[in-house]
Amino acid sequence: MDAPSNSIKIFAGNAHMELAKLIARRLNLDLAKAAVLKYTNNETSVTIGESVRDEDVYIIQPGCGDINDNLMELLIMIHACKTASARRITAVIPCFFYARQDKKDKSRAPISAKLIANMLTVAGANHVITMDLHASQIQGFFDIPVDNLYAEPSTLKYIRECIPDYKEGKVVIVSPDAGGAKRATSIADRLDLEFALIHKERKKANFVSRMVLVGDVTGKTAVLVDDMADTCGTLGKAAQTLVENGATKVYAIVTHGILSGKACEVINNSALTQVVVTNTIPHEDKKKLCPKIATIDVSPTIAEAIRRTHNGESVSYLFHNVPA
Amino acid sequence: MKNIVIFSGSSHPHLTDLICKQLDLVPGKCNLSKFSNQETNVELFESVREKDIFIVQSGCGHVNDNLIELLIMISACKITSAKRIVCVIPSFPYSRLPNSPYTKNGNTISRIPESEKSKLLNLTRKPEHGEPIKQKKNVSITNLGEIPASNDHSGTYKHWTCRAGNLVAKMIVEAGADNIITMDLHDPQFQGFFDIPVDNLSSQLLIAKYIKMNIPDYQQAVITSPDAGGAKRATALAELLKMTVALVHKDRVFHNDEMSLVGDVKDKVCIIIDDIIDTSSTITRAAQLLVNNGAKKIYAIITHAILSGDAIQKVNDSCIDELIVSNSIPQDEHVKACTKIKVFDIAPLFAETIRRIHNGESVSTQYKNSDIYME
Repeated sequence: MDAPSNSIKIFAGNAHMELAKLIARRLNLDLAKAAVLKYTNNETSVTIGESVRDEDVYIIQPGCGDINDNLMELLIMIHACKTASARRITAVIPCFFYARQDKKDKSRAPISAKLIANMLTVAGANHVITMDLHASQIQGFFDIPVDNLYAEPSTLKYIRECIPDYKEGKVVIVSPDAGGAKRATSIADRLDLEFALIHKERKKANFVSRMVLVGDVTGKTAVLVDDMADTCGTLGKAAQTLVENGATKVYAIVTHGILSGKACEVINNSALTQVVVTNTIPHEDKKKLCPKIATIDVSPTIAEAIRRTHNGESVSYLFHNVPA
Repeated sequence: MKNIVIFSGSSHPHLTDLICKQLDLVPGKCNLSKFSNQETNVELFESVREKDIFIVQSGCGHVNDNLIELLIMISACKITSAKRIVCVIPSFPYSRLPNSPYTKNGNTISRIPESEKSKLLNLTRKPEHGEPIKQKKNVSITNLGEIPASNDHSGTYKHWTCRAGNLVAKMIVEAGADNIITMDLHDPQFQGFFDIPVDNLSSQLLIAKYIKMNIPDYQQAVITSPDAGGAKRATALAELLKMTVALVHKDRVFHNDEMSLVGDVKDKVCIIIDDIIDTSSTITRAAQLLVNNGAKKIYAIITHAILSGDAIQKVNDSCIDELIVSNSIPQDEHVKACTKIKVFDIAPLFAETIRRIHNGESVSTQYKNSDIYME
């Protein structure tokens, strides 16, 4: 007797419907029917409109916007599919929730990222697909498999194709802080480019005081790379430092463009030529306020990871390649 | 009291102050805020090591923000060696959920706001793309005769709404709570969702006291339940106060919204008893029915007053004369907007329960012994 072949269902919360549609289109699927809404008393309600029994379910919801509402949507959707007998539930979280609250850096500081990991597990997730975790150690917070995809292949492609001066080799990859040095050197090595580092003294969260450049950027295009851009204080100051040190142009390529608070204003008033972010987080409204923002579409990578996970193939190919 | 810290979540600091006042304590110092990217930030400035921690957070306002904040506070206490973490959740979030966005006669339920209704269209939309990657095979099951498996379930599948109460319970336990104190759970079975002790306090005696003290000739009044689900609550109270009972019920036989009344309310004062008033549509319609049947005055006594959407407007326009609610949810704004609302204080009940849990005394005997209920 043939075992019933389970098929695939892709659900999306309200956090980033556009990305979910891109992923579904890439897989030649429709998004599964669900109504995720908020009652007048602000409680989240999830209504499932098609059977998920024995299906391979993927739920796409990045941690952005109203984080807590989006988190509850995701948890309730997982719970709903779990109670409706889904065979496997994979939470696709391109930008992880509370990723920066990952350590007890002062007395009684909560490790919220660990809490989120526990919540996803308790809700019934069997697998997590995410991208560029702020600290890859967050994978260790889970007792379920976590596939941490990289935006690096997409970033390399963008630098090769869209950054002027790349062909002349007059580009320097710059890490805006010591913590991101590894990410930046990796990109510089793969592209055979020079590397520089900005060292910053941070006195308070989201507030940068003094910056020191290590390396030479004179007469070159500087490309800042980082995993996330929130208020953009760091990027703005880093760009200023680079220009003062003789860089001709400054690009920033960032995976998660949270761009909260006055980020758009900061970018507009900064020395940055362009800020390139991936679409793990919706930023169409930000683009209207800030013409310097450009987008890298990472939906092919995520869609391919979903396809490979569903078919039981290795995803490690995606760590170094962009799917065609 | 030693080795006890009471923290207040941002949902209802006033209630925490009232509880602390009763216990002669000050609330634990903490900073609750949001980062610029909307993530919740919790900083506790009080040592919690080897102490009894009580965290007061009601399910109201921005429910999700308050719930996640509670979880982060529990987790922060847990990883810094608190001895015991007790969540004080006067009004429990996600405790009353419908199983469909539609009523029996096909209308959307009243708690879905107009702006969200378009999302329901998702449930009935036609597919844009072709077949899924893999089509489900027809599987014949041996020895059971021919059972054809349908390829297309979409047409017949009955949508359903997830009831998240169980999930919320599991999340609170997983975060590290050791005990829950709540009040008037919509379903008492909800306690079974938790693997930790749940003290479900009852407001019944406080309500009985309120009726005795504030409603003249209360023995002549009729306790009314606005729906069949609340009949038990109403009859229990009526028995306690030796009063008569009436019941409003939504007549489901004819699949319409008609309500009918069981019991005699002609020329009587009616006291509607319920646990939750949210959009207020049930209660205002029940009040109208009672007046149509000759009731001369309508009181409504309800524990948890969420009053979301245009509830205040509906209450103002309704024939309810007085709406008496508890402060399990902040009521200052509601009282300002609606002069019919009166508030009774539940802080003494919670304070006494906290004291008893901290000292390891029985919680249930307070219903008999405490002076909270004395007239």
